[in-house]
Amino acid sequence: MVDLARKNLLHDKLRFVITVSGVAFAVTLIFVQIGLFGGLLDNASVTIDHLDADIWVTSSKTPNIDFAHLFPETSVQRVRSVPGVARADNLIVSFMFISLPNGARENIEVYALEDFSRWHFPWNVVQGNLDDLRRGRYFFLDESAARRFGPFAVGEYREVLDYRLKIIGTTREALSFTTTPIGFMDYRIAQTLLGREWVGRTTYIVAKLAPGADVAAAKAEIQRRLPHNDVYTTAEWSRQSRSYWVESTGIGFNMFMTVLLGGLVGIVIVAQTLYTSTMEHIKEFGTVKAIGGSNADIYKILAEQAVISAVVGYALGLIPAFALVPAMAKGGLKLVITPELMLVVFVGTVAMCLLAAMVSFRKVATIDPALVFRG
Amino acid sequence: MLLEATDIHKTFQEGRETVHVLNGVTLSLARGEIVSLEGPSGSGKTTLLSIIGCILTPTSGRVVIEQHGVNAQHQGELARVRRQYIGFVFQQFNLFPALTALENIEYALNIKGVKGVAAQREAERVLVAVGLAERLHFLPRDLSGGQKQRVAVARALAGNSPLILADEPTANLDSVTGGQVLEMFRALAKQENRGLLIVTHDPKVRAVADRVLKIEDGRLI
Ligand SMILES: Nc1ncnc2c1ncn2[C@@H]1O[C@H](COP(=O)(O)OP(=O)(O)OP(=O)(O)O)[C@@H](O)[C@H]1O
Ligand SMILES: [Mg+2]
Repeated sequence: MVDLARKNLLHDKLRFVITVSGVAFAVTLIFVQIGLFGGLLDNASVTIDHLDADIWVTSSKTPNIDFAHLFPETSVQRVRSVPGVARADNLIVSFMFISLPNGARENIEVYALEDFSRWHFPWNVVQGNLDDLRRGRYFFLDESAARRFGPFAVGEYREVLDYRLKIIGTTREALSFTTTPIGFMDYRIAQTLLGREWVGRTTYIVAKLAPGADVAAAKAEIQRRLPHNDVYTTAEWSRQSRSYWVESTGIGFNMFMTVLLGGLVGIVIVAQTLYTSTMEHIKEFGTVKAIGGSNADIYKILAEQAVISAVVGYALGLIPAFALVPAMAKGGLKLVITPELMLVVFVGTVAMCLLAAMVSFRKVATIDPALVFRG
Repeated sequence: MLLEATDIHKTFQEGRETVHVLNGVTLSLARGEIVSLEGPSGSGKTTLLSIIGCILTPTSGRVVIEQHGVNAQHQGELARVRRQYIGFVFQQFNLFPALTALENIEYALNIKGVKGVAAQREAERVLVAVGLAERLHFLPRDLSGGQKQRVAVARALAGNSPLILADEPTANLDSVTGGQVLEMFRALAKQENRGLLIVTHDPKVRAVADRVLKIEDGRLI
């Protein structure tokens, strides 16, 4: 088959460049929007996704990981005795004031466990030994705190809730959804710092099941024994923490609108250039019909041109999107482009371009082959 | 008989007025025969050619091509008849600017259902026949007017369509070139036993025609 579609498309190079740039622009925009959204949401559940637990027990109606409420820490005993539970521990998550050398007070979010290593948490230790946390008034601080609060080093002291604590380690990627840096300290130390109200109380219980144990059954049994708490599987709790931010802040809607806008820009540019191209090739399409071609033959030409524009534009749009990943990271923003996202955007781009091509279909259907005899 | 058109009438609606363009034209054409159709501007030549070529539907009358009555009411059927029986040559050549000479013909063959190597061979054959063996891979913009019309003639001849219809094929060519194209056209039509109807103002066409028809006010005279 002679590829009239491709040859016509490449014959007018300038128009092809414009079409492809339009698609590429839309593709980059969509990747950046969804990628940033994904990056933000990743932060919303990053701790849940990395802590090596199967089940999370929260106080009743806790909306997400950062907004924890208190309940008695003795509940952990009841969880430990549930069949299938290999281990269970209390976890405190709480915001704390940290005093900076210049006297200013800032917030960090503290995660406190009795034994961090057991939960493979934190997941990205840069300096220090987690087991040392148990030995006294020490804490680990995420590297992102340097950007927020100025440089710090292991061995320095900081006042956290008016107690002097020594920084004995650093981590990477441990930020809350609101990009507050996360610190890690011993469970009892955290209780002491937080004061009287926190004596004998925790914010979460995390549980690891024995290999092969039935998650649903264990969850149901824990819920039965702790009727005043909420019990989630890790996946459920992660989803809940993410969707809280999507629903409560409107960032989901914001992203949706930008993606819609990006898609619209792409469709309009492609539709516009394909339509102009169709108008300019009307005589050729008349000839195709005169020599016996059908509307479908011409639709195929337009569809092929749309798909070529989509594929080339997609490839060209993906490059700047990937190039932006390290640049955004420098600015503290996470741009997450997964293979699934790439596939979805690819399919969306092709669909968008085909939709744009269909704008010209009606024009094609009205082309009268008799025009080939007119001057 | 290759073509029989009987009592063809065609009217156009121009606002409130009905314009009678063809008023009962009857003509026939045999294989291997070359007929020239002459007439003043506006006499209905192109309209008649379009009806015979199954591009326009007559208001009344009957077109029979190779014993098949053409059901002119159905667009798909008309397109099928065009693919199977008819080759066109236009005044403006109507080549695809983005395709080489060879691809122009291959593409037309593709539309007619001839694909792949078969289409390529046939395209080469007709281009060699019209004397363009050295220009197979030239784009139309790199060909002279006469060469373009040769490509168009080759395209009409490709794929064995028995009926070739040409509308003013020499109007955009100088006299000498036009004469050469007509000579070649005649030779090939005879050699391959095609029926050829040429609509024209050009007196040179008479020289190559077996028969000359004249039309005036939508009637043959
Ligand atoms: N689609 C149409 N609608 C209305 N009138 C038409 C249409 N097509 C042709 N006509 C009219 O029919 C008449 C014959 O037109 P046609 O094109 O067949 O003439 P022609 O003999 O080919 O003329 P020329 O030598 O100038 O090409 C003209 O008066 C023209 O205006
Ligand atoms: Mg005419």
